[in-house]
Amino acid sequence: MADREQVRHLEGMAVEMRRNLLRLALSFDGPVHLGGDMSMTELLIALYHYGMNVDPADIRAAERDRFILSKGHGAVGMYIAMALRGFYEFDDILATYGQFGSAYGMHPCRTQLPALESSTGSLGHGLPIAVGLAFAARQRKQTHRVFTLIGDGESCEGSIWEAANTAGSYGLGNLVGVVDFNKQLMTNLNGNTMNLEPFADKWRAFRWNTIEVDGHDMAAICDVLDNLPPADGNRPTMIVAHTIKGKGVSFMERSIAWHANNLNQEFFDIAMAEIDAAAAKLEGAVA
Amino acid sequence: MSTAVMNSPAKNVVKLGDKAAGRGVMDQVLVDLGTENEDVWTVCADMSTYLGSFRKAFPDRYIDVGIAEQTSVGIAAGLALEGAIPFVAGMAPFISMRSLEQVRSDVCYQDLPVKFVAWYGGLTTGGGSTHNAMEDIALMKQLVNMDVVSVGDPNMVGALMRASMDHPHPLYIRFGVGKGDPCLYDPETISVEIGKGILAREGSDATILAHGDLVFEALRAAEALAETGVNARVVDMYSIKPLDKELLLRCVEETGHIVVVEDHLTFGGLASSIADALMDERVMPRSFRRLGVPQIYSGFGSPQVNWAQYGYDRGGIVAAVIEMLG
Repeated sequence: MADREQVRHLEGMAVEMRRNLLRLALSFDGPVHLGGDMSMTELLIALYHYGMNVDPADIRAAERDRFILSKGHGAVGMYIAMALRGFYEFDDILATYGQFGSAYGMHPCRTQLPALESSTGSLGHGLPIAVGLAFAARQRKQTHRVFTLIGDGESCEGSIWEAANTAGSYGLGNLVGVVDFNKQLMTNLNGNTMNLEPFADKWRAFRWNTIEVDGHDMAAICDVLDNLPPADGNRPTMIVAHTIKGKGVSFMERSIAWHANNLNQEFFDIAMAEIDAAAAKLEGAVA
Repeated sequence: MSTAVMNSPAKNVVKLGDKAAGRGVMDQVLVDLGTENEDVWTVCADMSTYLGSFRKAFPDRYIDVGIAEQTSVGIAAGLALEGAIPFVAGMAPFISMRSLEQVRSDVCYQDLPVKFVAWYGGLTTGGGSTHNAMEDIALMKQLVNMDVVSVGDPNMVGALMRASMDHPHPLYIRFGVGKGDPCLYDPETISVEIGKGILAREGSDATILAHGDLVFEALRAAEALAETGVNARVVDMYSIKPLDKELLLRCVEETGHIVVVEDHLTFGGLASSIADALMDERVMPRSFRRLGVPQIYSGFGSPQVNWAQYGYDRGGIVAAVIEMLG
């Protein structure tokens, strides 16, 4: 179980991840998917730094937990969370992101970037691939889990529900989905056009063990990860994480403009000041 | 390139002139491969009837996702990422179209050795245009890392599945109905190799290049032409990608006239691959004809009726050769 000190450490990591997101977005001359990166920051930090059994020194270890970013446009967030864990150097990411020949691009490419389990990018693809990984592990009597982080937007794709139905029908207890339920798609708020609700109940109806959590409450996320049902059980788990798109920067929060956008110096300074203020408040609360 | 002798361990070898079921061969060879290699899996979207033997033999390596082709291909990619060797078995129109993006972005982009075994290629379903696969070769051969073979002889379905085990890339194996298919070759004398064609009948006046079910039609057409004194060569160009350029160029040099016949749109399939290859090599045949499905959504009816309707059955092939020889 995560003690208070561990949780504070993870919260500090989340602050650093948001800072690095802003640094990268400032440095890169093009749009970065900051909205979704910010909404899944705590989730990625909790997975890579607490919940998942992964080792940057042994990236192909047979017993490692697998992770697939189904919402592939969150690649920058994943690279940064992994860099903080020791898989990559943030400076390399900062220096080469988005350039021809770089392993770090808008969507994750397994054949160019070691330690990824699969390339993703087109939405609705990651969950089916994760189901394949889970089938292989179960048949081979391996004990690791397969984690996948999906978006609520891509949950409009039929292939998500095809895979949900398959995992539920075959009872893949070693499969853990996390959905970044930030209530926004690319160009619209969830509910203005499509309405996913009752979202958690949909997963339950597909025979998934479904848990709802505040996706920005590190202690709560750790608690969910601590209490996952055994991997040899007969139900997949879906963690429905309620999040805020653009979380942490006031002008990005719940803003359609910041699904993906360029960050200039002026906005960077404002955003960084807000992150710093929140970090100071966090430290103050600790002290 | 991967090769396999036709009759190697498949148990249900049938002889030249017999009829057999490509789908039955598929199921049996899957069992053989699954026995030899514990990483062999079969994934399908509600095709369990045709996979009964494998399902029974290896229930823990058999996944039926129901009628959900997209997720079946995504799952196969996931299995391959873990080092498994998945065969995705199903109907050609749905593998090639419903799950096209999964085939491209999950399998081909990552160059995973997933094998697609697809029946009902061409106008063979009787189900009309929703179920016909007249674009599948064009779609599949266009994908980077994907290789494409199209098979008429039912034993070759198994032989190519066997050859695919040493093929480290995605492979699309296409055949027709997969039931009551005529055997074209004596299995003890023919070996298959991805990237090679088979000289099915010698001839010097013209070459008919075909794949799949239409190799049989081409052979019957050549017999009919022989009665009129025309000596037509028949090549089974089952390997569409990679293409056997060497054999193609030899046929142009030795026979001059080229007829390509396929149960597929006349543009985008084998005929287009051949035309591309000839242009790239700056080789101009004396004449060139492509027979197949025109720009039309066909009606219902048997394969033979459809082939005849659009002029690419044996009668259509005979007429085309006679016309081109003037």
